[in-house]
Amino acid sequence: MALPLSSSGSGGLFKLSKKSSQRTLTPSSAAEYLASLKAADDDALAREQARSHSPTPARDVVHASAVNYAPSIASTPALSFASTAPSSLSSPTTYAATLEEDDDPLVYPDNPPTSNDPPPSALHSEFGYCNNEEYRYTSSYRDGTSLFPQHQDPPMTILLATYISYLFLIAIGHMRDFFGKRFWPGYYKHLMSAAGYAALNSDFDSFYTRRLKLRIEDCFARPVTGVPGRTILMYNRVSPDFNVSFKLTGQLTRALNVSSYNYLGFAQATGGVADAAEESIRRYGLSALGPRLEAGTQDLHTAAEALVARFLGVEDAAVISMGFATNSTTLPALVSRGCLVLSDEYNHASIRTGVRLSGASVRLFKHNDMASLEQILRESISQGQPRTHRPWKKILVVVEGLYSMEGTFVDLPALMTLKKRYKFYLYVDEAHSIGAIGPHGRGVCDYFGIDPTEVDILMGTFTKSFGAAGGYIAGKKVLIDKLRTINHAFAYAEAVSPPVLTQLTAAMASIMGVAPPLLTPVGAINTQSTALIPYSHPGPAPAAILPSWMHLPPALLSGVEGNTRLRRLAFNSRYLSQGLRKLGFIIYGHRDSPIVPLLIYNPGKMPVFSRLMLAANTYPGAVPFVVVIVAYPATPLITSRVRFCMSASHTKADVDRLLRACDRVGDLLDLKHGCPKHERWTVDEVIDRAVELVHMD
Amino acid sequence: MATAVNSTGVLPDTTPALEPILHYVSASLSYVYHSFLSIPGSSIVIRYVRSSYQNDPFRTVLEVILLLFALRTIFQSRTRADRSTKNYVQLSESEIDELVDDWIPEPLVTPLTPAEQAQLNALPIISGAAGPKPKLASTGKTVLNLASYNFAGLANNEHIKEQAVGALRKYGVGSCGPPGFYGTIDVHMQLEQDLANFLGTESAIIYSQAFSTASSVIPAFCKRGDIIVADRGVSFAIQKGIQISRSIVRWYDHNDLDSLEEVLIGVEKEMKKKRAPLTRRFIVTEGIFENDGQMVDLPKLIELKEKFKYRLLLDESISFGSVGRTGRGLTELYNVPATHIDMLLGSMATGLNAAGGFCAGSRVVTEHQRINGTSFVYSASMPALLAVGASEAIGVLRDNPGCLRELVENVRVVRGVLDRLECIEVPSHPASPLIHIYVRSGPSQGSTLEVPTLAARKGGKSKTTSLEPAEPVTFDIETEERLLQDVVDEALAQGVLISRVKRLRGQEASEPRPSIKLAVSAGLTRKEVEKAAGIIRAALLKVLGRRR
Ligand SMILES: Cc1ncc(COP(=O)(O)O)c(C=O)c1O
Repeated sequence: MALPLSSSGSGGLFKLSKKSSQRTLTPSSAAEYLASLKAADDDALAREQARSHSPTPARDVVHASAVNYAPSIASTPALSFASTAPSSLSSPTTYAATLEEDDDPLVYPDNPPTSNDPPPSALHSEFGYCNNEEYRYTSSYRDGTSLFPQHQDPPMTILLATYISYLFLIAIGHMRDFFGKRFWPGYYKHLMSAAGYAALNSDFDSFYTRRLKLRIEDCFARPVTGVPGRTILMYNRVSPDFNVSFKLTGQLTRALNVSSYNYLGFAQATGGVADAAEESIRRYGLSALGPRLEAGTQDLHTAAEALVARFLGVEDAAVISMGFATNSTTLPALVSRGCLVLSDEYNHASIRTGVRLSGASVRLFKHNDMASLEQILRESISQGQPRTHRPWKKILVVVEGLYSMEGTFVDLPALMTLKKRYKFYLYVDEAHSIGAIGPHGRGVCDYFGIDPTEVDILMGTFTKSFGAAGGYIAGKKVLIDKLRTINHAFAYAEAVSPPVLTQLTAAMASIMGVAPPLLTPVGAINTQSTALIPYSHPGPAPAAILPSWMHLPPALLSGVEGNTRLRRLAFNSRYLSQGLRKLGFIIYGHRDSPIVPLLIYNPGKMPVFSRLMLAANTYPGAVPFVVVIVAYPATPLITSRVRFCMSASHTKADVDRLLRACDRVGDLLDLKHGCPKHERWTVDEVIDRAVELVHMD
Repeated sequence: MATAVNSTGVLPDTTPALEPILHYVSASLSYVYHSFLSIPGSSIVIRYVRSSYQNDPFRTVLEVILLLFALRTIFQSRTRADRSTKNYVQLSESEIDELVDDWIPEPLVTPLTPAEQAQLNALPIISGAAGPKPKLASTGKTVLNLASYNFAGLANNEHIKEQAVGALRKYGVGSCGPPGFYGTIDVHMQLEQDLANFLGTESAIIYSQAFSTASSVIPAFCKRGDIIVADRGVSFAIQKGIQISRSIVRWYDHNDLDSLEEVLIGVEKEMKKKRAPLTRRFIVTEGIFENDGQMVDLPKLIELKEKFKYRLLLDESISFGSVGRTGRGLTELYNVPATHIDMLLGSMATGLNAAGGFCAGSRVVTEHQRINGTSFVYSASMPALLAVGASEAIGVLRDNPGCLRELVENVRVVRGVLDRLECIEVPSHPASPLIHIYVRSGPSQGSTLEVPTLAARKGGKSKTTSLEPAEPVTFDIETEERLLQDVVDEALAQGVLISRVKRLRGQEASEPRPSIKLAVSAGLTRKEVEKAAGIIRAALLKVLGRRR
């Protein structure tokens, strides 16, 4: 039998061991070890000295263009760039790379502000300038809209080709292992038992990684630098050995970022929120120096917790320094043996870890299928615990607000009905939905108009919409106080770091608006958008909660900017989702979801999609895109997909570009199997009728 | 492929009655086999199956099972209700409705106990920067801090803060993505390189929270059927990691390497007897134990690990950044190359006053975690400014060995005071900057300079499968916690912030003894430490002294 893929290279194909770029340290004696440590120290010292003499070129280029573009801005203090370029920006990195972008279309707005417009409040590369009030939408659930569009199935041929592709990949992989082990045994050394040690990772366990994932490794873990905002700077890299190792070429690419969880665009190095974060580093340093229950509680923590509770409209909240750990340390504190957890089959790994640690019994229900859930509920309650038939102590239903791979919202209205009947406790992980959806950005409860106090446990993370890190857990005061004493993270994990707390506090306050407004906004704000919807919902942030030293610019204080961001995100999300559907793609998820998964199916098409999007040659004037491709095991085997994450920082022109690029790639790769040909729109039509499209059901 | 397996498979012995059927089966099989042979290329497949069968018969079986399993998962939903068990009771819909109506769940959580409420109320809140001399929000008073982890005194270092501000202005705060999806920032790669160079390992991998590091690293390597030999006194994070791993666990007496050796010999015998295939074997322990400040004898540990061919997972969360000439931890203290430790864990939150944890080791070890470390893969990467803070802290430690010399001095001062007190026991190693204080139970015995082990072995042997030591030290949790809290309150009233260790009673694998924890810092001058130690001594004497 021929080896179809061996044509692509010689022995390189079989290479497995990562080649070390530095000298390997396997000292035989302590003296040698000390000598090598000393050498490493000297290296580091030399590097540091070299660094302090030459500022990073990348940063200079970026800033030069920013300042050129907006010379007048420096006079408006609230929007000042003065602080954005500290003179001694000796970058801590030695990954110096260059970026040439004198005429990069991504750095300048397509419709720059005229003298009548207010000046932009942010760098266009971080947060796009888009002043057209038409390109706004309010995210809220409309009764009657079908919540869960039926997943379209692709043609049988696509499914078949996908299965065959996997079979082929697996067969070839085994063949390569078979020959590889005989002819290149050295490369398999770390996969085999040797010298009395079993392999850390056997050849069998690592098969998928080595033989399937490695082929498309260039699409994952791409190193980046700078702000993960509207655009992102990516290090160009090459692999001399078929993705076993990568070398940075020393060049950077600025790409449109449709991958980061930067829903509201608060990932910014400039602007009021970043200014507050800088102030907090100067005042508080970097660490709270310990777990919360010992001496790691600062005034910032209590302020942030009060604000989160207020934001959500519940009694109390607790913050934890990692989103993953928020789930994995809270669930074991809530349930234990004799309890039952009913978990959506697509729940995040952190939830699964938490449930596993808790020792509770767990059953999965079909993704977002309330009938399946009800059936399991009836069965579990009536049957009781296995063998003993004793009644369950508690039943906890764990769902996500917005599923990160599917783009679906939890069917919260139906869930609340079930909750009343079956008396289970409800835990909603709002990692992706908090801040991103709902007319006031308060997540799924806000979106569906459901009272947040009816959900027992609200969990969410700050890594997404707020551009910070960590997570929160919120609910009734008795619950949160109890969790403070029994949650693992409070006793043993480091508390949230002060600048991170400040970032999330400032971002959250600017979504809410601060009451009473400390400054009357004059001039600086577009009067058109000050016509804010008066809402009483969970209300604005009381100024007293915020740290007294935090001075946010008027646009943030008034909530105008936060509101604009919410509406821009809602517009962009709906535009992309609807646009791609109209172009003929199979798109999962709800139309209001900022996560837009585009189905690819065939594993071979995934890397091509990713590389074509990055190569920026899909149509004349195309820009590079960084996209996320996901496949098994993160998704079911056949439904490989591209996942776009929309952001408020994108402009309509950015979404236009994305649609154009997808349109071309979709034709090239035969991905348009969604709606029949005669119902499709051309990409020009989609772009021209964007506003109409967004308001369509 | 499945066909080929059948044709080379062995038919079991059978009763004569089945013979005609078997005859038919074997005839048709041989027909299939021969027609298969006529397909071009089939001989390669057969050779492949045969040889892989020879070098690992289980593999072929496994592959077939895997294929069947894959088919099963495709055709069967994971979420289908399970009605097949014998135990299932058939109920009518109305009966179910009734049962649903009758079911009353327990409350989600029990209300706070008075003790828990008191604990929350007594929690100190720091106003402004945490550090050696923070201000308390409640009183507005500045106190001497022996409760916060600031061993090398890096907190609020101006240079580090400047660099962090620089990073903020280049990267923003959040990374907005997991490492696999555009969350790998150059400063993360730099920090990994800095850690590896600092420790002298081939590479390192960083996690965004120190607590989640051990509980992610352990299950990344230790799978079902693997063997973990662990210390009875390991920290909560490690306990959780071991729990998730589902490996076979054997415990040895706390910080007792003779007991470790016995357990290793025992496991070896057991495996020989069972003729178990070679599996991965790990020794899991800590450098300086978070739970009591004892220190492991690293050279001896490494000798044992190499003798018995175990991999060593050493958690240096406390010792990294606090012991050794420049804070490289136990490896520096004992002059042992870090390359002898397969997985060296550490905390950048504790040791470098930034955030997150790391695992240093060979490239094979770290690359494996980039795919299999759950809290690495499924969580956003650390904020860039904290990674820069950690990198800069390494630079400070490396270039200023002086700060750790001061720490050693300060530890000596504190121990000098504590070791003379009759009313307490100090289990911690004399060189450990983390000092635990127990209430001495009963009449005083022996010198406190001697390091007592958690399970003082007096001939009795403990069961290796259980966490219980042979002769557990008994203590009254409630009384001791109350006494210690009185000491903490008294010290605070006199201007010294110390903390009782907060435990998760009921959730710990075995209940650790109540203690007060002192985290000595180089950020305080010798005079200040002397003053603080004096106040702590007075508080201890006042509270514990009046007991007798
Ligand atoms: C549903 C869900 N929960 C929790 C997390 C973990 O959050 P973090 O990245 O802050 O650790 C994620 C992150 O991807 C998530 O999607």
